[in-house]
Amino acid sequence: MDTLINVAHGFGVALQPVNLVYCFIGVFIGTLVGVLPGIGPISAMSLLLPITLSGTPESGIIMMAGIYYGSMYGGSTTSILVNIPGEAASVVTCIDGHQMARQGRAGPALGISAFGSFIAGTFALVALMLVAPKLASVAIAFGPAEYFSLMVLGLVVLTFLTQGSMAKALLMACIGVVLGVVGLDSITAQPRLTFGRVELIDGIGLVPVVMGLFGVAEVLLNTEQAIKRDVINAKITNLLPSKEDWKASAGPMARGTILGFFLGILPGGGAVISSFASYALEKRLSKTPERFGKGAIEGVAGPEAANNAAAGGAFIPLMTLGIPPNVVMALLLGAFVIHGLQPGPLMITQNPGLFWGIVASMYIGNLMLLVLNLPMIGMWVQLLKLPYNILFPLIILFTIIGVYCSSNNVFDVYVMIAFGIIGYFMRKLGYEPAPLVLAFVLGPMLENNLRKSLILSQGDLMTFVERPISAACLAFAVVLLIGPLLPALRKKREMVALDEGV
Amino acid sequence: MSNDTNVKFRLNNSELWGGLIGLALGGFVVWSGLKLKLGTINDPGSGFVLFYTGILMCLFAASIIYGALTEGGPTLGSRWEDARWGKPLLVIVCLIAFSFALNPLGFLLSAIPLMLLLLRVVDPVRWTLAIPIAVLVPLGMWWVLKRLLLIQLPSGLFEIG
Repeated sequence: MDTLINVAHGFGVALQPVNLVYCFIGVFIGTLVGVLPGIGPISAMSLLLPITLSGTPESGIIMMAGIYYGSMYGGSTTSILVNIPGEAASVVTCIDGHQMARQGRAGPALGISAFGSFIAGTFALVALMLVAPKLASVAIAFGPAEYFSLMVLGLVVLTFLTQGSMAKALLMACIGVVLGVVGLDSITAQPRLTFGRVELIDGIGLVPVVMGLFGVAEVLLNTEQAIKRDVINAKITNLLPSKEDWKASAGPMARGTILGFFLGILPGGGAVISSFASYALEKRLSKTPERFGKGAIEGVAGPEAANNAAAGGAFIPLMTLGIPPNVVMALLLGAFVIHGLQPGPLMITQNPGLFWGIVASMYIGNLMLLVLNLPMIGMWVQLLKLPYNILFPLIILFTIIGVYCSSNNVFDVYVMIAFGIIGYFMRKLGYEPAPLVLAFVLGPMLENNLRKSLILSQGDLMTFVERPISAACLAFAVVLLIGPLLPALRKKREMVALDEGV
Repeated sequence: MSNDTNVKFRLNNSELWGGLIGLALGGFVVWSGLKLKLGTINDPGSGFVLFYTGILMCLFAASIIYGALTEGGPTLGSRWEDARWGKPLLVIVCLIAFSFALNPLGFLLSAIPLMLLLLRVVDPVRWTLAIPIAVLVPLGMWWVLKRLLLIQLPSGLFEIG
């Protein structure tokens, strides 16, 4: 009963005209960046982070959340029609989605992808509503030792899932922690690694770092290759899947939804890994696995449901523990912090309007996305024809303006350009930026919780292993750290390794 | 990867260089941590986390170097094989020039040439399209920010914008 009252309260917040407008802007931009290859949800969210300052916390966060799950919808359009994933979570959709389009079945592919996303997104929200308050009540008992160990686990999982060498990913995570603690020490007020620059006293901003590493570096990488697009030009018809399509897709959708939701909750997991896992599962369960890769609708329905369910699940650790499980959620945490809010176990009770408002807005956003993605498909196809040589200067200009607006400081523009160049060379040498960014956000919290636990336990390191949750997290982290040394686990890691860690 | 692009003991091994940079950074972080004071385990100081993170960085970097020396790694050149490396280089030069020009010239006088360069230099867009985009987009953004959102972009020495 309480849940229903809370949901009604949430709809009261989400249906306010200003919040509806922000929700629409969020899902529209999300679909747009999902459709456009070369710009993903991370770049778009960091670009729009300063805009959240202009409204209420609810409006800003509703918009940011809309960008995230909107991009999951939009990414599939590009995968199906152009065979280029709009964002990392849609890589798998290319395999069968584009084959379906080549066989003249672009309509059902787009349709099942949109309906699958809608159903999975709705399920994830119901589960979020039911799980989050329960988990938050448990999380109130968490002390600094548990928080420290959970953050360590989150970082280790992400480094485990990052493509390439694990040593490189761990090195990136360490660099992220170091960058995160630049500025005044919150306990002793001593400046650290500021090199005498006043601009660094408050630390390095999240926006310039993310925009540099993901926005500018991505543009630099894309300019290396002449992007060729094989856009399906035929008129797209029959967007509503047939009875047979529904029959074939129902199972994969249900399995993808459940799998995606639970993988989304795990620290370091997220939309990308869940879509890959769902595809692998469907192929394994299929009686005719040879159809996969040749236009099997199950290969579109499962992964698309999984990545949307994961997008919903990823909100749970952020809302209940205050720990972002991936880079996108780290940016959302940034939006909360900008408004002086700290997501965590107390947020649901102290700010029910905010929590339930965001959840309710996601229902509304899912409905908006269904409308945006099906009847307006022609508009998105036209956008796909925008040449990259016109698009990338615009992306660079928007990142410059976005960074400047976040702080009104030219120094941040320099920081962004520097991180863009560093990010480009990092990617060329096989160092992924995702662990760095997550560690950058978690770094100050990690340090605070470590120091607090040591002070409270009077320097007894056993505090981390005597508390069961902390011990379990650390044990799991150790298994993942030594895992790649074992050939069987190394092979598994290579199979699920992510591109961007989102 | 061919034998020509995968080298073990030669200096031209990108993994080795990546590891060495990591090691140098780790060494610097350890030194910074020590300088900031470690404190005690009961009461960790400002340099405590930096120091131990620096040590971890050195360990991971050492493992990368060890891997580079024993298993080999791609040459620096092979990282840019089949890539139009001049294009990102041009964008980097444009961005660095822009960062130097932004404060003295202001947003409009630096963003318009930046846009024109990016539109013409990398994959040239025809002049009739490049000029309007390069002029109108920064102007439009400047107008929206200044008039609607009341955000003042840098106006430079000439106070334009």
